[in-house]
Amino acid sequence: MIAAGAGHPRSQRSKEIRRHALIYLGLAPFLVLAVFPVFWMAITAIKQDSDLYLVGAAPFWFRLPPTWKNFDFLFNNTFYKDWIINTMAISFWVSAITILTSVPAGYALARLRLPFAENLGIGIFMTYLVPAIILFIPLARVVSTLDLQDSWWSLVVVYPTFTIPFCTWLLMGFFKTVPFEIEEAAMVDGCGQLGALCRVVLPVSGPGIITAIIFSFTLSMQDFLYSLAFVSISDQKPVPLGVATELIRGDIYFWGSLMAGALLVGVPVAIVYNLFLDKFISGITGAAIK
Amino acid sequence: MGVQTWWRTPTARRYLFGYTLLAPAVLYVSLLVGVPFAFSLYLSMSDASVGNPVARFVGLENFKAALENATFYTAVRNTLVFTVGAGILKGLLGTTLAFLLLQPFKGRKVVRALLVIPFTLPIAVSVLGWKWMFDSQFSVINWALSRLQLIGAYGSPDWPVWLGQPGLALFSVMFVNVWRGFPFSAIVLLAGLTSVPPEIIDAAKVDGTTFMQRFRLVIVPMIAPILFIGSAFDTVFTLSDLSIVYLLTNGGPDAATEILPTLAYNTGIRAGALGRGAAISLFLFPLLLPAMILLLRTLRRRQY
Amino acid sequence: MSFQVSDNEGGTRMTDPRPAYVDPRTVGRRGFLKVAGAGVASASLLTMLDARQAPAQIKGTSLRMLKWSHYVPAYDVWFDDFAKKWGEKTGVKVRVDHIPHLELPARYAAEFAAGAGHDLIYFVGQILTGQYYRNLIDLSDVADNLGKKYGGWLESSKSAGQVGGTWFAIPDFFISIPVLYRKDLFASVGMGEPKTWDDLRNAARQLKPKGHPTGMQFSHCNDANHNWRALMYCFGVKETDPSGQNIALDGKEMRESLRFAKALYDEGMTPEVFSWDDASDNRFLASGVGSWIHDAISAFHSTRITNPKVFADTFCIPEVAGPAGLKWNVGEPNVWAIWKFSKNIPAAKEFIQHIADNQKEAMEASLGYNMPFLKEQYKKPMPYLGKDAKLSTLQDQEKINAFFGHPGPMTPAAQEVLTTFIIPDMFTRVARGADIEDTMKWGVGEIRRIYAKHKG
Repeated sequence: MIAAGAGHPRSQRSKEIRRHALIYLGLAPFLVLAVFPVFWMAITAIKQDSDLYLVGAAPFWFRLPPTWKNFDFLFNNTFYKDWIINTMAISFWVSAITILTSVPAGYALARLRLPFAENLGIGIFMTYLVPAIILFIPLARVVSTLDLQDSWWSLVVVYPTFTIPFCTWLLMGFFKTVPFEIEEAAMVDGCGQLGALCRVVLPVSGPGIITAIIFSFTLSMQDFLYSLAFVSISDQKPVPLGVATELIRGDIYFWGSLMAGALLVGVPVAIVYNLFLDKFISGITGAAIK
Repeated sequence: MGVQTWWRTPTARRYLFGYTLLAPAVLYVSLLVGVPFAFSLYLSMSDASVGNPVARFVGLENFKAALENATFYTAVRNTLVFTVGAGILKGLLGTTLAFLLLQPFKGRKVVRALLVIPFTLPIAVSVLGWKWMFDSQFSVINWALSRLQLIGAYGSPDWPVWLGQPGLALFSVMFVNVWRGFPFSAIVLLAGLTSVPPEIIDAAKVDGTTFMQRFRLVIVPMIAPILFIGSAFDTVFTLSDLSIVYLLTNGGPDAATEILPTLAYNTGIRAGALGRGAAISLFLFPLLLPAMILLLRTLRRRQY
Repeated sequence: MSFQVSDNEGGTRMTDPRPAYVDPRTVGRRGFLKVAGAGVASASLLTMLDARQAPAQIKGTSLRMLKWSHYVPAYDVWFDDFAKKWGEKTGVKVRVDHIPHLELPARYAAEFAAGAGHDLIYFVGQILTGQYYRNLIDLSDVADNLGKKYGGWLESSKSAGQVGGTWFAIPDFFISIPVLYRKDLFASVGMGEPKTWDDLRNAARQLKPKGHPTGMQFSHCNDANHNWRALMYCFGVKETDPSGQNIALDGKEMRESLRFAKALYDEGMTPEVFSWDDASDNRFLASGVGSWIHDAISAFHSTRITNPKVFADTFCIPEVAGPAGLKWNVGEPNVWAIWKFSKNIPAAKEFIQHIADNQKEAMEASLGYNMPFLKEQYKKPMPYLGKDAKLSTLQDQEKINAFFGHPGPMTPAAQEVLTTFIIPDMFTRVARGADIEDTMKWGVGEIRRIYAKHKG
């Protein structure tokens, strides 16, 4: 009895260790695949340039001492600070527009049993399928009519063309998971349809809305063509455009600063992503199942 | 109830409320996607060029021109290989990774955090990082493989030229897409798997099913919708994404990596033949059709 | 093509091929001159004082111009400062935006669609004059004025600036793409200065086994487009007839150049050339591996800094001759143009004049990279080139300068052949073993199709 009691946790523990070892072993290739390029970018970002071009030398370590020069260059010799601020501002406004339009739309499509709702919904999703290379020329006209050419506000107007369809779909799925009963109870309590939406449905829709915001944010960061076509002034560019157009001069790649510039926005976004990952997961689950 | 008061009925008020809620989104996308798209359709049937505002209607001439171009077929084939190949790889890697991440283990949060970085880096910039990793002389990949004695030294015939050998070049650009996309596939699948109630799996276990049977009969049907939608959206993104190929190879060498978006861009924008460029990019739609059908199906299944 | 201005640690290993980037916002004129190290201070001040009086009506206006990021980054620093100084003097508020040259066409397509954008624009490599001329203002007055002042325009400038005999763009400069070779390596196989493409092939054949192959891009990049055309034109190929309307590629000369390229690849190159971009051959030369390359002198400048030992043995020749002694160098033109919707046409015209009047200083600042289009500007010694023992050979480059579409002008059809990379693809196919007749059939067919579209 006593012996068994003492032995059990031990075997449990070794079983746990074995299980962990197996999981880590399984994860290792994935981690290498996903992280090595990032690690490599990080190394490049703090390498001296002369250390990059040593023929035949180990590329992932330092022969010359690491340096912050590339970061310094990024902040003092380019408009990187402006690019970050622009990216933040663009993402904020794009998310705001997206939420303000796709929350009501998603709700209406999911809950209000409207005639033609299905077709309208499909119509909205279909617009996500139209690629940017088809749209940017006609949109240039729109941007110029609004007098937004060469201002980051032009991107605030344009990016919702892909975030709204995506997030409407996402939120529509999400709203379907909210039980009808809560809403009906609220309406019985004297709230109108709008009251029920605001007071009851929205508060339980946090994960869905957060997911939509995260998507708006990351989708906005993946654009290149629109920003290239509409913004040519250095201090108006978002980060991806600024980094890709101003750190390649002629045919010279400023590798270190390019990598630094990418990591400085990519890594914080990854952290934020992770903070909300659980919410995010319940967000997409809610949207897709049901 | 009289006709004049119909709009006061609860149903009417619900409709009014509903369409009011829908209006902003519908107006936004119809004005900024619908109208420009209609304009592009018109372009594709005209002889418009970048500098010529007066375009003539030419019917289906531009579509015919695309079909007469041998490179067009290469581009269609590459687009399909690229999208389907990348989709399969992302699916396989994503599923495996999702099952691994489903297990509770120490450091799960850290691992998850690291895995999403490829997805959060701006694509235009991470592609440039890959360009440097695929460099024909200073490739870090080749350096490592060469040290492990898997390939020869620089200058020897078995030194891979990632972006230069026809099959390998297409694989390399596809690989960058996979690298960027598989963590996301894993997260979407993880979401699907988390949503399968453990009781259902336990019940199935009691029934004495094997893992594969449980996977096929219980898990797959439960996560199918999320799988469909995830892959449909991912396919749309992969198909229309220009930046990976444009920045790595611009379709070369000899159309080895030419895809419809690069062909459309080089014809329509860089060469200025807007009409023909628009026609080429509209050929993306037949390729998108499977993705659309999947979407529609899933949507219909989800109706009330 | 890359290059660096500032000196750095040097040594025998490869070092920093990156330019000393100088922020135009923080560096004043004096700071720049120190950086560029070009002894032009006094000359430039004189030209500034000497500059023609700008018309008063442009005072108080603003001028926005769009340019590319020059391969010689210090030139952009010089240029931005030059534009600023001009603005201060004339009372025009000037802003210069730079974007990578490959992205210019997308931006112009958007500006044209919008009917708004930069007041003064710039085409490089892809000369879009033929596409946009209906929406560009007639600059014949500026062109005539400059032609009169500087001894007339080179014949090739018409291809870059005119459509149907009218000047819709003012040529600024062209980039020449000479041969850069390693004298020491050539000497090690008993060869002197190469005179012909056969010499280059022989050298590569003997040097490749010793670890010093050569390389020209077989890929979808700019350099592939010029380099193979240079070879073709030296072999006597004519892309079109002089009117530019009918293609003339289908002949024995083209077949001969394809055959030659195949041999050059088999004997003298490694497969890495299929993946190269415009910068790869610079690194290839600077790493000490390459025995010769065919590239702009920015590669020469970068090697000076990154590998002084290799640089000491690197020499430059304008071009080598084809079998019949023909020599053509395919340059990359740079031209100014003004939209009809430009908000400040007078200031834009004034600026074009002003930069042309200061060509010497500009050429000096570009380290001899910017080759002029005006005949008198070839008076020796030319800025920078005249003072450099190795580069002084380039002072007659105007005699062998051709652009794509040669001998016809750069029409929109020729543009499309260029941007869809048909010529590099033909060479790639043959180098990989495709039959020459099949390749001709495919390539000529594609090109015919494109020309037919543009006629239609």
